[in-house]
Amino acid sequence: MSRRPLRTGGYHLVAGGISVLWLLPIALVLVTSVRSFDDVAANGVGSLPHSFTLGNFGQAWVDGGEFQAMVNSLIVTIPAVIITLALGAISAFALSRYDLPFRRTVLLVMLAGNLLPPQILLVPVSKMAEMLGIYDSLTALIGVQIGFGLGFYTFVLYGFMRAIPNEIQQAAVIDGASPMQIFWRIILPLTRPALASLSALAFTWVFNDLLWSITVIRSDTKMPITSALLGLQGQYVSQWNVIAAGSVIAAIPTVTVFLRFQRHFVAGLALGAVK
Amino acid sequence: MTSTGSSVSSGSATGPVTVQSNLSAPSAKAAMQALIDGFNKKGASQSTLNTVASETFRTQLPTYLTSSNPPDVMTWYAGSVARSYADKGLLLDVSDAWNGVSGYSDALKQLSTDNGKQIFIPTSYYFWGLFYRKSNFAKWGVQAPTTWAEFLQVCETIKSKGVTPIGLGADNSTPWVASGWFDYLNIRINGANYHRELLAGKHSFADPQVHKVFDQWKTALPHFDPKGTALSFQDATTNLLQGRTGMMLIGTFLLDTTPKEDVDDIDFFRFPVIDPAVPLAEEAPTDGFFASAHTARKPQTLEFLKYLTTVEAQEAYLKSSSGSSLPANSAAKDAGTALITKGKQMLQKAPDLTQFFNRDSSDALQPTADNALIKFIQHPEQIDSILTDWQTAAKKIWTS
Repeated sequence: MSRRPLRTGGYHLVAGGISVLWLLPIALVLVTSVRSFDDVAANGVGSLPHSFTLGNFGQAWVDGGEFQAMVNSLIVTIPAVIITLALGAISAFALSRYDLPFRRTVLLVMLAGNLLPPQILLVPVSKMAEMLGIYDSLTALIGVQIGFGLGFYTFVLYGFMRAIPNEIQQAAVIDGASPMQIFWRIILPLTRPALASLSALAFTWVFNDLLWSITVIRSDTKMPITSALLGLQGQYVSQWNVIAAGSVIAAIPTVTVFLRFQRHFVAGLALGAVK
Repeated sequence: MTSTGSSVSSGSATGPVTVQSNLSAPSAKAAMQALIDGFNKKGASQSTLNTVASETFRTQLPTYLTSSNPPDVMTWYAGSVARSYADKGLLLDVSDAWNGVSGYSDALKQLSTDNGKQIFIPTSYYFWGLFYRKSNFAKWGVQAPTTWAEFLQVCETIKSKGVTPIGLGADNSTPWVASGWFDYLNIRINGANYHRELLAGKHSFADPQVHKVFDQWKTALPHFDPKGTALSFQDATTNLLQGRTGMMLIGTFLLDTTPKEDVDDIDFFRFPVIDPAVPLAEEAPTDGFFASAHTARKPQTLEFLKYLTTVEAQEAYLKSSSGSSLPANSAAKDAGTALITKGKQMLQKAPDLTQFFNRDSSDALQPTADNALIKFIQHPEQIDSILTDWQTAAKKIWTS
């Protein structure tokens, strides 16, 4: 009888401890974001706060150029997510529902692109963008994000669509539905949970990307939020308080999207688990 | 505020001069904007500023220079590092901008010259030294040392007070800080010429002369902060300000991360003399600008660079910046604080000036030094293998 409370207590202690460890860095960022620079410089980033100011948020937003950067990020992220998912859904539909020749090869080639470390593609990508005349434009960044996202999204949606019973499609064919109608009116509605969770994931990935943005973009006015945050770090000296405030602002869109899609997100995590 | 540089999309030869800057700290960025505004107000040509994060700039600089539509003017460092780009044909010959320039020393012109042509416009420089808090030195009853023996004595005294004598901030975000120690020890023991030749690949890092540098370093190593390779330079500065460490070998940019009320308490002393027979050269890293060889706006670019050499431009920059550097034009006024004046005099008396490890070699050689020096600080007993490894890594870069 006495073992149960002990076990429950132990569970809460361990789980609570892990949660605290997990939340500590986030708490540190939140605390740092309201400290003054002199306080951080004199007492260190890790110390208890000796000051309180909300000015850092204004400084990050206005002087740090975060407003423009946030707009840029959304201009890139929203079309990139919509186009990638649309293309991914179409290709996954074709590959999973029809017996196309070499479909496994096509799928593997698409996936193989994702297995390459992106670092080796940095120079080719920036040179190609320059040759196409789109270097230093948001179009280039959208293009790169679509290109690199497509393989993975197709792969995930392929797995999901393949699990839809064949009978549903056969019934539609008997009723005289064209492939376009089958896709639009049967498969796509059934894929909605997968699409919802993937779009939340894709939004986070594209929004938080730094590597591609600094590869294809050169002007500070076109930089998305991640590189604007990096820009708050000086050559020698970084204002950690302003950077922390900027990070808090930069996290708002992804947190919002996550909360909005939370239900699908958790359901989506089990996507690949059961076939 | 953010609409400062929509720059590079058009290839026309008539648009404003595009200036790509790595000075992303707020005060330095504001100072750059003041500089640009000053030029634009003159009305002849126009310029736009484009600031990118210094980390991004460092990795993207080769891309900027080899781009078919490059920024016209870029911030960077004088010395071998600029020459290494010039030798690849990437930099504009800016001799015209140097013509008739006053207030510049011959040494600075020499520093900006590659194969008889000027390829660089220096605008400011700063100095390195062992920085400390005056109040702490007074409390511990120590005086700024001038020789190595006195220096070790000061370390002993500080240690006896329960304080780590020598701070260091050489974690993976600022590993190059450790090169300051290597540079100075080598300059004091083997002289500035040997140092430059070594960095240019004319000697081996496995030479007995280099061993001597590390033997000397070993005598001070027990006084180093054991956590020094796990701290950034900024955190190490906090330790110094808090009195947890006694002193730190660093550049004047430490003032940029010092709260205003503490700045007056900061002082420095010259790196101690080791061999009195070796002339006392100092490190004086010089910052400035170079231009791309592929610029489509050559006359305007030269006009802009010429403007950068003027007293007016350099004072406009210094007035808006944190004032921890010295203007390259000797006629321009500096911040004028006791510390800056002391440093300026130290450099003026120095028979020879070096830049800094990366600037006297190349951006590619710096990581080999970072690896070797951090490993030495952590495992000084492995110095033989560290130096042979360093030589192997450096050789690959010199021969590539």
